[in-house]
Amino acid sequence: MKGKKVLLAFALIGGAVFSSFAGGASDGKEIKIAVAAPMTGDFAEYGIGFKNAVQLMADDWNAKGGLLGKQIKVIVYDDKNNGEEGATVAEKIVSDKGIVAVIGHFASGVCLAAAPKYQESGVPEISPSASHPKYSEVGDYIFRNNTVISIESAAGVNIALNTLQAKNIGILSVKTDWGTSTAGITKKIVADKGGKVVAHEELVDGTVDFAPAISKMQAAGVDCVIVVAMYNVLAPFASQYKAVNPAIKLVGFSNAYSEQLIALAKDSAEGIHFPAAFFHSGDDPQVRKFVDSYKAKYNTTPSSLTAQAYDSAGIIFESIKAVGKADRKALRDYLYKIQYPGVTGMTSFNSIGDAQKVFNTVTIKGGKFVLVK
Amino acid sequence: MDMVLQQIINGLTLGIIYALVAVGYSLVFGILRLINFSHGSVYAFGAHISMLFIGFNFGLVPAITASVVITGLLGVFIDKTGLEPLRKKKSKGISALITTIGISYIIQNLLMIVFGSQTKFFPKLFDYGNFTVAGTVVGIRQIVIFAIALLLLAVLTFVVNHTKVGLAMKAIEQNQKAAHLMGINVNSVITFTFFLGGSSAAIAGTLIAGYYQMVYPVMGFMVGLKAFAAAVLGGIGILYGSIIGGLFIGLSETFAATYLGGSYRDAIAFLILIIVLLFKPSGLFGKKTITKV
Repeated sequence: MKGKKVLLAFALIGGAVFSSFAGGASDGKEIKIAVAAPMTGDFAEYGIGFKNAVQLMADDWNAKGGLLGKQIKVIVYDDKNNGEEGATVAEKIVSDKGIVAVIGHFASGVCLAAAPKYQESGVPEISPSASHPKYSEVGDYIFRNNTVISIESAAGVNIALNTLQAKNIGILSVKTDWGTSTAGITKKIVADKGGKVVAHEELVDGTVDFAPAISKMQAAGVDCVIVVAMYNVLAPFASQYKAVNPAIKLVGFSNAYSEQLIALAKDSAEGIHFPAAFFHSGDDPQVRKFVDSYKAKYNTTPSSLTAQAYDSAGIIFESIKAVGKADRKALRDYLYKIQYPGVTGMTSFNSIGDAQKVFNTVTIKGGKFVLVK
Repeated sequence: MDMVLQQIINGLTLGIIYALVAVGYSLVFGILRLINFSHGSVYAFGAHISMLFIGFNFGLVPAITASVVITGLLGVFIDKTGLEPLRKKKSKGISALITTIGISYIIQNLLMIVFGSQTKFFPKLFDYGNFTVAGTVVGIRQIVIFAIALLLLAVLTFVVNHTKVGLAMKAIEQNQKAAHLMGINVNSVITFTFFLGGSSAAIAGTLIAGYYQMVYPVMGFMVGLKAFAAAVLGGIGILYGSIIGGLFIGLSETFAATYLGGSYRDAIAFLILIIVLLFKPSGLFGKKTITKV
């Protein structure tokens, strides 16, 4: 009796060790894809979006008989949007030989901390959100299904100068890797296009009192602010600015383009403009199908980054299917060749692994995102 | 010139809120010689409860009143469960201090579990627009916040200085044992103090949540630290000292953000604190304490 118990215990431990370290043991039946993103904290909205989108795509494939006859399994890691945590997660992912590719991480800073690990171990990483120019330069296993920030900045500046007819532009940016470099790029683009930046205010993420920055911008005669930050800054900034000057025009970036922005800023969110590669109320049948099934399953509307995560998953599955095996290196090689018609338009990667996309202009009207023609 | 005036108004609004929170530290410190580090979380708790009750659509005043009472009771609960047993066992002051830090995190995590960790919308309070004086835009909500806070601080000062329970608080502050011998019910006075501290934190939390239109579980952390700095700056235990300290920190922070950039604002508040303490160790209005051997 005792002997049996010991044997059972050994079998259990053995099983656990095998499934967590070797991974290959289960390789016969499933293909594993990792999602690494913030699942808790202020940016959880984005991370959960990634997870949901990738799961949705995987379910789609699994329902149609799987990938290469195997079921796709999505494994989720929480990086808490923290660089150190991101590196630890990357360590865990690369040590699991059964994982073919990673979709994530979310913030550029976290991506930059984790990407060298993936590169070193040869795991293809597609970030649906990283926009820092340096990210894809880490190596040839590192991809982004997002545009480099300079292209998005140019689209944002274009909205400010042409759509909104701004004369005096103010820039508000968060003091992070991404924020500082984007603000610098944006400033330069405004100057190149003949606009005028009259004020630039930086603040640390987590600031809640914007009154000093707003008063300074008001004194400088700003009529349009380009906000280089996510919704957690843009929402309170919009509320506080509109309390002082209801006529202020605001331009955000696509990573603030989220339902949470409307939930948090309510009326003050009205009229904020965004450049966005994906628009969820578009007429395209493929977009409709994605948005409808996403809504049916998760009860919220997918944001543009969620859509890019969805396409990232599609790109990986399609590539694995094309090369005929779940092999990391073969997958990487194919990613440089793929032309993927997804919900965020036709996606291909250039030689450094950056996706090429076209931008729409989106604004908030009556508590909803609408397309500006 | 316009901008200086504008920033003074911004700074005063921020400062009066710090003052309201700082008073909570001062009240408890005055009577117990204890720095109650759970105060920042109590403030966040108050804001969340207000949000909850405002969501029920009972109207603004009943919602805030309910939050004030519940948060006051939370203060009492903290004292009864975590601090009073320590006092009874005559434990060292440091144990109580650590207990308050622990309680702070317990409250914060409870808020995360119940309300979620993300930032949530708080309805705009007192949104009556702006008016312009001498080229300076003044929000009516700023004035209302200032007025409410000032009124509350006046009430608290009155309670401490001119009522029987206030007298008892002062007596306990001077000598707890002697006060007890004179027939003062020390425990119920302490309970009352915690109630006052919790209620004022709830009002401060609600005002600031309405001003910025958002609430989140860790909202009390930075405000708590700065209000504590304000209390120390003014001389902890002295009510009007906390008010001046709060305004001082609010103004210096706003000016730091204006002229040095938003990245340094938090450091400035503490830099000023350190400088003042170097010259006046007991704070601006603090009394020198006589060390009893």
